[in-house]
Amino acid sequence: MVDLSVNLNGLILKNPILTASGTYGYADEYDDFLSVKNIGAIVTKAISLEPRSGNTGRRIMETDAGMINSIGLENMGIKAFLENVLPKLEEERISYIVNIAGATFDEYIELGKICENSRIRAIELNLSCPNVHAGCLEFGTDEGSLYSLVNAVRNVYSGKLIAKLTPNVTDITKIAIAAQNAGADLISAINTVKASGVRISYVRGKFYQERINGGLSGMGIKPVALRAVSSISEAVNIPIIGMGGISSLNDIFEFISVGADAFQIGTANFTHPTIAEDLVNQLAEFIEYNGFASYEELKNKIREDIKNE
Amino acid sequence: MKKIYKGRVTEVKQAATDLYYIKISAANFSANAGQFISVLCDNCTLRRPFSVMDCENGVITILFKLKGKGTNYIKNLKEGDDIDFSGPFGNGFSLTDKRSLIIGAGVGVAPVLFLKKEFDKKGVESRIIGGFLNKDAIPANINLDMISTDDGSLGKKGSIVNFLKDEIKNYAPYRIYACGPSIVLEKICETASQYGIQTQIAMEKEMACSIGVCRGCAITLKNGKNATVCKDGPVFSGEDIKW
Repeated sequence: MVDLSVNLNGLILKNPILTASGTYGYADEYDDFLSVKNIGAIVTKAISLEPRSGNTGRRIMETDAGMINSIGLENMGIKAFLENVLPKLEEERISYIVNIAGATFDEYIELGKICENSRIRAIELNLSCPNVHAGCLEFGTDEGSLYSLVNAVRNVYSGKLIAKLTPNVTDITKIAIAAQNAGADLISAINTVKASGVRISYVRGKFYQERINGGLSGMGIKPVALRAVSSISEAVNIPIIGMGGISSLNDIFEFISVGADAFQIGTANFTHPTIAEDLVNQLAEFIEYNGFASYEELKNKIREDIKNE
Repeated sequence: MKKIYKGRVTEVKQAATDLYYIKISAANFSANAGQFISVLCDNCTLRRPFSVMDCENGVITILFKLKGKGTNYIKNLKEGDDIDFSGPFGNGFSLTDKRSLIIGAGVGVAPVLFLKKEFDKKGVESRIIGGFLNKDAIPANINLDMISTDDGSLGKKGSIVNFLKDEIKNYAPYRIYACGPSIVLEKICETASQYGIQTQIAMEKEMACSIGVCRGCAITLKNGKNATVCKDGPVFSGEDIKW
């Protein structure tokens, strides 16, 4: 068995393939397609203090090379999650990270405390949802606010703290440095890119517009993500979980080359529900076939070769 | 069980203006009326969901409307081509053993033709009626007990909902099953409730995941709760829908 394990600043996972928040629910629906326990970790759908019903109206639209969503953080709330979902994840030995989204500063602290008391071993702070007007977006775009927030959660939560960053900022390195200085153990990037999807139809002499304002994901944002991860990795020394349009082993190599240590698969799960496990297997096969000892060795080899080019 | 299937195209043929049939051979696949499959299309981020119109002896029939990139890809598939689809998804219709009226509007006739076949197999009395834009919009080779067209070019003239009261009076169904555009379903449910008749309707919505996780196709029910068309539906009790 090839050693795919990663030690991400103390967060030890059996492999570096994770599934992105919002694309995997709470794992149960993927049971029919694959063994979820073989994935490095699933990141839960964002969980808020109280249940949220999400946005009304159109919530998704496919684009030329991706999709736009405006779900609005529909979720069951932390209480129902702890009661109904967590025991199942534990029982099935699924490795999970809880993504939390507060509507206010205080809600993040409260969520952090609850996760501490429930001994959740890692949380990802959703600092950047583009689809909720009040709350997380402002924390993700201003380094001062982000520092205060991450630091406040750090003070109440002793598990591994991941700051998920938005690309919708002028300089992502400042935000990343603020997250690191505030005590984040890891950074994950990028969240979706602010976008509009528009469709025009012409029916019986009249034009009609269908429109969605939301977050763009999928292969179209991969270049944006590579640039962001690259910039972040030059600015901080904590590990980075890269994401944005990943759907193949080659995409993973690209992200390694710009500084990502682990990866989240997002939109591709919708199209290829087995992809997360497929990539774990493909990564193991590549490592074995090419005679590397482990994922860590492969990662270092990619970076060294590129440095020496 | 839901899974990814690698099927083989056995036939693609035009059914009406903008409508096509595709037949897919896929061993071990089975579905109930009202369930759907999601087809992987070249150069599309998302799979395309389609109601199953028929499924027998390992051959699935889908009726689809040409809308864009995805459906054009499917239309251009040839006999013998591989096709990647996942399913079966959704809940499907729940059958009654009492006399039922079945209504299909436009391409929405597909899942209810499958339902009609299931009723016939069970020996339950049912009547199927369909409404279309005009005679060129009616899929070839389908059997309906009554047809209406908006322009009167075939069958009765006018929207199918205009004939619903007469149908209810004459046929006295215990339940009404329907699939079609939202506006048609709303009117069907409204009329049915006036007569105290239960409805089961198959809804349509753009989807991403097909399994209820992305919440992209969620609708709000009368009780204030959200339901996904892909997993909690696509078939709902008409009484539960907030129009």
